[in-house]
Amino acid sequence: MAENIGGDNGDEVRILAFLCNWCSYAGADLAGVSRFQYPTNVLDVRVMCTGTISPYFVIKAFQEGMDGVLIAGCHIGDCHYLKGNYMTAKRFGVLREALKFLGLEEGRLRLEWVSAAEGEKYAEVIRSFTEEVKALGPSPLRKRAKAGVEA
Amino acid sequence: MSDLKSIVREKLRDGADAFLCLKNEEGTVLPALITDADSPDLELVEVGDSRYPLGKILIDLLREYPDKRFAVLVRGCDERALVELSKLEQVDLERLVLVGVACSAEEAAACGCLRPYPSDIALGEKVEAAPGREVIDEVESLSDAERMAWWREQFSRCIKCYGCRNICPMCFCKDCALEEPHLVEPGVIPPDFPSFHIIRALDMTGRCIDCGLCEEACPAGIPLRSLYRKMQDIMEDKLEYRAGESAEERSPLSFLGSEQDIEKLEE
Amino acid sequence: MAENGSEMNYRLVPSTCVYCGTGCGVLLEVTGDRLSGTLPQKDHPVSKGALCIKGWSVHEFVYSERRLTKPMVRSGEVLVETDWEAALAAVADGLSAARDKHGPDSVGFFASARCTNEENYLLQKLARAVVGTNNVDHCARL
Repeated sequence: MAENIGGDNGDEVRILAFLCNWCSYAGADLAGVSRFQYPTNVLDVRVMCTGTISPYFVIKAFQEGMDGVLIAGCHIGDCHYLKGNYMTAKRFGVLREALKFLGLEEGRLRLEWVSAAEGEKYAEVIRSFTEEVKALGPSPLRKRAKAGVEA
Repeated sequence: MSDLKSIVREKLRDGADAFLCLKNEEGTVLPALITDADSPDLELVEVGDSRYPLGKILIDLLREYPDKRFAVLVRGCDERALVELSKLEQVDLERLVLVGVACSAEEAAACGCLRPYPSDIALGEKVEAAPGREVIDEVESLSDAERMAWWREQFSRCIKCYGCRNICPMCFCKDCALEEPHLVEPGVIPPDFPSFHIIRALDMTGRCIDCGLCEEACPAGIPLRSLYRKMQDIMEDKLEYRAGESAEERSPLSFLGSEQDIEKLEE
Repeated sequence: MAENGSEMNYRLVPSTCVYCGTGCGVLLEVTGDRLSGTLPQKDHPVSKGALCIKGWSVHEFVYSERRLTKPMVRSGEVLVETDWEAALAAVADGLSAARDKHGPDSVGFFASARCTNEENYLLQKLARAVVGTNNVDHCARL
């Protein structure tokens, strides 16, 4: 799965995006129907609310060979569940600092608020995040390549 | 100032059903539960210089004996653990009588927590200590790549004994993420960097009370305490919370909260 | 959970880990009349308050359903409970038959860390002097 992102070229970076069902996933949908172009390095995971994203999921994503992880949800104040994204913001603030202390470049983890009306913003977020992760190169947390399985 | 023996006797006469403290049994200092003011163990009680996770022992004792009240000898770290465990609904402070002992100047300097004394001191003299910053400062002086190499080297010594979790007074879950095969691959030693140690560091965030028992129990000498201490610094910096300090205020990571909580994060 | 009014009992019994020859110091936790856990002995001269995962779980086998607590002899596909007399006779017959048919080196002896030095000494004596083989090894090397 992960190794197919970004086409066949194993040198491409891989990004996992957790998108909230109510805002950012709809935003990504709008980007699609509006034909906004953005890179294909992203694998989406739709979640009901970004507040359900355990930091373990992010660790797991990096462990499985992702080079960047994006979490995108409703703007603060617009959460479908009223307060879910407060938890996201708190967890993310701590997680980013923790990973930084362990030596993972800050740019590999990003939190964005993207509403269902912001298709252009979604495309722009993916463009700039992909650029940033590309500049950093493959993640140092990629597991040592298993022969014949991973790039 | 009275001695520990008379305090234990006094608490047992004043309504505590048992006193959890330490005793010296033929040169070995170990936790002891004293249930009787005439117990021969009373002659053996001492503060000792070996620390054990008394809070963790109390979680089990309070459940095992639900109608009993316990007195317990606490250092600063033990008190912080009980305060935090109470907010996490693992101990009932109403059923506990805390007897505080302040760490000696030597102990405080060697151990180096923020508050080497409990709020109410029955034994010893209060001294301040400066938490050790050497490891954190060293790591922070490195570049990203050097940091990761540094931690990789540290964690490569891990023999996955789970001692850091087992001794930790704040670890009480029945199902532990460290035993989830999809997060930590079974049978792999040392465990994959960074899953095992990041998971533990994240779980300690807003919870670790800086007792340092993890680092004392680590056969590989991994600077776990500095890692978890840094997590608490992050917690204080980002969410203005330090575990074990307030009996009422809960960790911001344990509830959804309000918009105000996250204003600082945006900076 | 203990019944109301019953006597409280919690104590730690200093002991030595049985899993290998290092001899780490453990404190076995007893709650009520049950062996409930293990803690490292902080001031132990050998292990200095650290344990490996085997030491941390040294109490677990005691109540394990898979633990053998009585001698059993295999009869066809099933294990049948028996007494020590019959069990040891079966062992002696089996080992003698193997040695007589294939020679002493067809037999091997595995000693256990859960036994004392003296017991392990006797086992290797049995191997070398009685059966006549040097095939002696130890569970901690497996």
